[in-house]
Amino acid sequence: MFNEMYQSESVIRNHYNNINDWLDQMTSKVILEKNAEAETHFRNIGITFSTNNETARERIIPFDLIPRIFTYTEWLRLERGVIQRAKALNAFLADIYNQGEIIKANIIPKEIIYKKKSFEPSMFGFSPPRDIYSPIIGIDLVRTGPNDYFVLEDNCRTPSGVSYMLENREIMMRMFPDLFHNNRVTPIDDYPTRLLQTLMSLAPIKCENPEPVCVLLTPGPLNSAYYEHSFLSDQMGIEMVESTDLFVEGKYLYMKTVDGPKRVDVVYRRIDDDFLDPLCFNPQSVIGIPGIMDVYRTGGVNICSAPGAGIADDKAIYIYVPEMIKFYLGEQPILDNVETWNCEKEQELKYVLDNINELVVKEVDGSGGYGMLIGPKSSKSSIDEFKTKLSTNPKGYIAQPLLDLSFSPTLIKNQVEGRRVDLRPFCLIGEQAQLSSGGLTRVAMNEGSFVVNSSQGGGVKDTWVLAE
Amino acid sequence: MLSRTAEYLYWISRYMERAETTARLLDVGYRMSLFPNPSGYNNEWESVLSAAGAIEGYKNKYDTIEQKNVEDYLFFDESNPSSVYNCILNARNNALVVRTSFTPESWLAINKTYQEILNLKEKKFTKSDLPDLTEWTIEQVNLFRGSLSSLLRNDGYNFLFLGLFIERADNSARLLDVKYFVLLPKPQYVGGNIDNMQWSILLRSLSSFRAFRWAYDGNITATKIADFLVLNNNCPRSLSFCIQNIVKHLTNLTCSPEKVRRIYNNLKDLNTKIQEEKIETIVEYGLHQFVTQFIRKISSVDNEIHKEFFN
Repeated sequence: MFNEMYQSESVIRNHYNNINDWLDQMTSKVILEKNAEAETHFRNIGITFSTNNETARERIIPFDLIPRIFTYTEWLRLERGVIQRAKALNAFLADIYNQGEIIKANIIPKEIIYKKKSFEPSMFGFSPPRDIYSPIIGIDLVRTGPNDYFVLEDNCRTPSGVSYMLENREIMMRMFPDLFHNNRVTPIDDYPTRLLQTLMSLAPIKCENPEPVCVLLTPGPLNSAYYEHSFLSDQMGIEMVESTDLFVEGKYLYMKTVDGPKRVDVVYRRIDDDFLDPLCFNPQSVIGIPGIMDVYRTGGVNICSAPGAGIADDKAIYIYVPEMIKFYLGEQPILDNVETWNCEKEQELKYVLDNINELVVKEVDGSGGYGMLIGPKSSKSSIDEFKTKLSTNPKGYIAQPLLDLSFSPTLIKNQVEGRRVDLRPFCLIGEQAQLSSGGLTRVAMNEGSFVVNSSQGGGVKDTWVLAE
Repeated sequence: MLSRTAEYLYWISRYMERAETTARLLDVGYRMSLFPNPSGYNNEWESVLSAAGAIEGYKNKYDTIEQKNVEDYLFFDESNPSSVYNCILNARNNALVVRTSFTPESWLAINKTYQEILNLKEKKFTKSDLPDLTEWTIEQVNLFRGSLSSLLRNDGYNFLFLGLFIERADNSARLLDVKYFVLLPKPQYVGGNIDNMQWSILLRSLSSFRAFRWAYDGNITATKIADFLVLNNNCPRSLSFCIQNIVKHLTNLTCSPEKVRRIYNNLKDLNTKIQEEKIETIVEYGLHQFVTQFIRKISSVDNEIHKEFFN
């Protein structure tokens, strides 16, 4: 097992020395106070989850005071690896919606692409500005050793969590300014500016405005990421719109303002494909902007991410990402995939069924840590239940070995204890490709747990990248 | 600015203003309940309910008018759309949507208020806590208003203040309408205890009790109070002050000049009239009729604002 802070029981890794000293001089009283301060702050700024239960108070994600730290060298490798992956995923999208070279080269079988629900036939033959389909990619990484990083999954649609990355840093700087005097932590607060630059660099062909009008499209206040939507549009200084604020006239998209209609060039959408355009996708949908796809295809507006970008982060496609990197970029993958068995294939299914006690089984379309089985930690009955599911619907599942996620020191009842963590850094691709200098570290707050999802008792930490 | 944003800003300040009015009315009711009258204690709760426009809703829920229930209905009740709780909840839900259109301080002011009222609501209250609750509400609303001073003076600002003054004009006028009779000169009561008490209710509920003393020398008379609350441009809750400010923030809007002009044309006459009129003439014409017409006018201006800008 790998511990982010301790090299061995008595030896602290160099880059954690300052934090260790800081922890030593913190009393339980201070910890309690600071925890309460953080909670109040998060409630006040409203970085909360809506829950379906309307009478219940909104929830906040537990915040751990101890930052997770990367050295400059460690980060450099991650940065190169994530950007490489993000470029390959965009190249893959551009390819499958046009020539389909990777299929002709027999690297990926065409059935697993064209039969997927997340493949969008209406995108065929259309190329978005700069051939960028997914300008904002969140890559979920775990670490198992000093140099061993694995990609758990890619998020090419509308990855969320970046507001936590930014707010976690804000609260840390506010509560512990001295920490930032004593450690050279790379700032991250320019992320919204970079995001806006990225969106503006992806203006559609027919846009003549030197400063394209961008909007953030949200499903509304009931969405669990609503705080993030308003936070990002605020930080970028752009309008946060709902689909009722937008309408299509002629070959353009407009928003309804007090001055009358105003043309929109780029839509950073935080709603699913299905709800974009009832004329094109889901005719039952009451939300959506009728005709927006037509405007999109004729170059009147850009939609980020592109409809159909979701095929690239499908769990069945994930297996092929290392091949994509070689195929499109001619490079060796810098970050590894987790070994994955595709239960759709008979032989692999057999292996999974035989070794299910050692494996993690995931639903292909599942998320949020739901619908998965952690073999080594599950009862016989739930294992049997999954065996039945696998045999009846094999193509709905993949399986992976249980990775020994790294431990990060975490304050549990005022004591420092090791808890498992993952990492989601955010990659932007427009005119240039860049990675946030940090990311969202999620931590499994329960002892021994492997599940970092906030829906299942996960918390978050500030993530530091030390300057060179 | 998005039409929807303008609409939400407008309603945020309406709700916050309404929360304050309801709290002030409760405060008045509470004070009155401490004073004796010939038949025991004063019961002002009914007129408090009417002034808050909540009498019908209350009677649907309760058979008798009792302090505990009135307090609960006006402060916490989720079924009363104008309860302080609902006003704050609605203001906060709107603010959540348009938080990007005003300052972080304004959002914090509203969201903190919301977090606190959730805590207040969970506790059980006794009669004697009411002054704390009303004081708290007024403080919170002031915090919100104060936070607005750092806003850009753009259309969003003007929509916020349009909402505030439309709501205030309506609240002041309704209160006058419920209590107009105490301002009519009736020789047999003048100077009597009942009038003094009634006048003080009116002034307190419009947060103008001390201000009135500063503004007028000599004896308190019904005419002076009516003048103060209807025509005095120095009194921040008088009808004329509200109208002046509605006109100001309306004409300061930079969007859609032709829409602004249409609404202004509808408002012009009332504004001129109220700036030139003498209180004696109004009382002679009928204070009640005057106030009723005023309320109708404000409501039509509100409708026009919705029609022109928010659709």
